Amino acid sequence: MAGDDAAGEASVSRYLPFFGREREEGFDERRERPGAALLAAAAATAAILFFIIIFVALNGWRAVSEIGAVEFLTGFDWIPSEGAYGALSLITGTALVTGGAILFALPAGLGVAIYMNDVASPRVRNILKPACELLAGIPSVVFGFIGMMFLIPLMLDLFPDQLSYGSSWLAGSVVLGIMTLPTIISVSQDSLAAVPRSYREASMALGATKWHTTRNVLLKSAVSGIAAAAMLGVGRALGETMAVMMVTGNTALVPEPLWNVFSTVRTLTSNIALEMSEVSFGSLHFSALFFTALILMAMVVAVNIASKKIVKRTKAKMTGDLRSGRLSAMAAAAARPVAPYFGIVSEAAMALAAFGFAYMMLSLVAGAGASAAAAGALAALFLLRKRLSRMIGAGMTQKAVYASLWATVALVVAVLAAIVGIIVFKGLPALSPEFLFDAPLSSGRAGGIGPAIVGTLELMAGTAAIGVPLGVLCGIYLAKYAGDGRFAGTLRQAIDILNGTPAIIFGLFGMSVMVIWLGMGYTLIGGCVTLALMIMPTIVKTTEEAVRAVPADLTEASMALGASKKQTIDKVVVPAAMGGIITGMILGIGRSMGEAAPIMFTAAVAFKAVAGVSVMEPVMALPYHLYYLATEVPGSATMQYGTALVLLIIAGTLFAAASYARHRYGRFASG
Amino acid sequence: MEMEFEENIMEADGLDVWYGKKQALFGVDIPIKKNRITALIGPSGCGKSTLIRTFNRMNDLVDGCRTEGTVMFNGKDVFAKGADVLELRKKVGMVFQRPNPFPMTIRHNIEYGPKVHGVTDKAKLGEIVEESLRKAALWDEVKDRLDTSALGLSGGQQQRLCIARALSVDPEVILMDEPTASLDPLATAKIEELATELKKSYTVVAVTHNMQQAARISDYTGFMYLGRLEEFGKTEDVFKSPKSELTERYVSGRFG
Ligand SMILES: Nc1ncnc2c1ncn2[C@@H]1O[C@H](COP(=O)(O)OP(=O)(O)OP(=O)(O)O)[C@@H](O)[C@H]1O
Ligand SMILES: [Mg+2]
Repeated sequence: MAGDDAAGEASVSRYLPFFGREREEGFDERRERPGAALLAAAAATAAILFFIIIFVALNGWRAVSEIGAVEFLTGFDWIPSEGAYGALSLITGTALVTGGAILFALPAGLGVAIYMNDVASPRVRNILKPACELLAGIPSVVFGFIGMMFLIPLMLDLFPDQLSYGSSWLAGSVVLGIMTLPTIISVSQDSLAAVPRSYREASMALGATKWHTTRNVLLKSAVSGIAAAAMLGVGRALGETMAVMMVTGNTALVPEPLWNVFSTVRTLTSNIALEMSEVSFGSLHFSALFFTALILMAMVVAVNIASKKIVKRTKAKMTGDLRSGRLSAMAAAAARPVAPYFGIVSEAAMALAAFGFAYMMLSLVAGAGASAAAAGALAALFLLRKRLSRMIGAGMTQKAVYASLWATVALVVAVLAAIVGIIVFKGLPALSPEFLFDAPLSSGRAGGIGPAIVGTLELMAGTAAIGVPLGVLCGIYLAKYAGDGRFAGTLRQAIDILNGTPAIIFGLFGMSVMVIWLGMGYTLIGGCVTLALMIMPTIVKTTEEAVRAVPADLTEASMALGASKKQTIDKVVVPAAMGGIITGMILGIGRSMGEAAPIMFTAAVAFKAVAGVSVMEPVMALPYHLYYLATEVPGSATMQYGTALVLLIIAGTLFAAASYARHRYGRFASG
Repeated sequence: MEMEFEENIMEADGLDVWYGKKQALFGVDIPIKKNRITALIGPSGCGKSTLIRTFNRMNDLVDGCRTEGTVMFNGKDVFAKGADVLELRKKVGMVFQRPNPFPMTIRHNIEYGPKVHGVTDKAKLGEIVEESLRKAALWDEVKDRLDTSALGLSGGQQQRLCIARALSVDPEVILMDEPTASLDPLATAKIEELATELKKSYTVVAVTHNMQQAARISDYTGFMYLGRLEEFGKTEDVFKSPKSELTERYVSGRFG
């Protein structure tokens, strides 16, 4: 990279002598003012976050004032019919399902990332990377659907004594974990790949194995990126609605005992999705639901901020810039006497944690004695791991580790293949002209899904028409004009938060503004606006990256010919960044296409005889239709698989289009 | 010829190396004399790095790199079936062109290698840290800041830290690939002085683009050209009375 920059500067400096100092100052791109459209887009983005928070907070205000924030946050009982609004069981539900998901998605995702970085040949990597992206592109209702159809029956077979329905915290965590895998894999793989090659060489030149190097050098250097990956995963899991709602059983209670993964739970998101359609506008219950959304938002923002802090801190630590504050200096002083024992203490603590965790889990399915013995064996294995590895030698240790990583990769690929395979296999028989073009009959058990397909296509088109210009303009503004000032900082922060904001919160915002405040009811346009807001951060980010990736010498060559900044951006920069911009756009639309949560209170209805002709009419949409069939219409399995297949086909087409755009536009494309 | 009386610690014989389809070394034969400094010189891309990276088999890490011929180290072929590459790299250490300390504390940088090879005793590790840093002439400068990040050191200090790190696993040979290329003249002088000091207990092979440096510090010099070892001999002979006209033109700076 540094080489590229240097080359760029060198080629530009050839022109500089002809212009002298003043002209060189003119090169300072930040002096030229951005056009009104760019400024408006940027301001609108910042305003959106502000309005989302304001609207959600305003609607939630009544609940706070009548119930009281403390009661709300500490009460266990959520029984709206009896006036009991204690959100703690919902908060616990969200935390438990998310925690469980990360607990296995992080090791598995990291394992796959390490495998891709250390072991996989370039060919295999070129298969695994798109496979991960494809996994990321599968709509969340499809995950929920497969969870209902396969995971839950499987769990009932595995744990017949522990489960009565199959729906459970465990099922929710498994589904969510699989959904967060792509994020964790791609972010941690990027950060592993970013570790300078020279570290690996230095370590291996000392006689360390590849695995030892990865374990002791690469993972340590990449730790901030891996932490960011975990946090992104947590953020994604916290806000997930549909998939979780379909497999967790949705009873608002705290598991008994707290670690009973077989218990049913209800998350904040599911609770909103389940109850919002049944409450009357402006009621206490209505307001209480908005307040839970505010809690959810606060959790997401907290995770976002925490992850930034972690990244910054670990970076500072690594480069030796960390100035220890008074607190950490005191902590260091207090720790000094025990410092020599730190290794032993932390080993013991980790072994104890491993024992405790294993015991808790095992005791759910086995007797206390057997659980204690097995957990004890596990903890002993943990304590002896270094000795064991020394016994079998560094080479064998590496072989064993890489073999287990390979198994992890194989499992992930198998899960992806199974999901796609099952849907294709079971969905193909449903596909017929009637299915694709006719309206549903007898609540969706017969007929087709024509209006839902049209509705989804309309939603995609409208979302693109609103979200893309706004997002692209804002991205260009950030990359070329914003600089590092206060407004730019706020804007970037707002975009990061919007990026992590759960889909359902966009749904609530869209509902409160358009459905209620403007009195529009459920409309196509309402759905488009809501989805456009949701995908905007993705488009802003990919546009900004793509524009930044355009080499400086290209810009400066144009300006050296006397073109103004605006001309340069329009004629040179944006065309060069087109691949990246288009890729981001397609990915954003793909993501919005599969979401049911944002449209279920703004646009989507369960039945419509003909596809809408007006933007002021409600629409049917594929993700919502699949959710509706899967949860409300028994005996419609074939139709469900058919709908899931159509969703997958659209997602796959968009994915292929994005790959093509990225490939076609080559090196300037990013995202 | 007195040079044959000195013991060869390493020796390459008929060495061919390919990167994919491209051949980078052609039948290189070169002896490395024990407790001497051997300099490798030659124009960019002639295969100097490739050659020394076969000595500790670092080229194994390059996808598509293939080697034929032998490299003997203490009488054993390092490419033989069943040869222990980890043990080889312990015995044949390497210092790179750009200083590449790990992003850890100075102490952990030095302890890393011994730990890899199974040293766990705290006191022993402490000894190794001090001894290695002393040998690399860095101890006095860093003894009060062993537990701060190595990335806070200057470039020259970082490079000496990398030398200390290479010494920490008790090698016999130290390969240096343009160790002063990214350093200022003062730091360079320190490294040169250090190399001369090190040859009492170690064998040093150094790649350099700096003719004066090769002439100043080395006992033997190999001149490489287009993947072949064009000339090898005592440094004085190579610089004062080269056998090959190419060598003569290169060392006198009339090349190209
Ligand atoms: N990883 C690689 N893949 C493909 N070709 C390589 C690789 N490394 C080196 N080469 C090629 O092998 C030849 C020898 O390269 P080498 O790095 O050994 O030269 P060098 O003498 O060290 O050059 P320099 O003085 O620039 O460091 C060059 O033509 C180079 O392009
Ligand atoms: Mg080289």
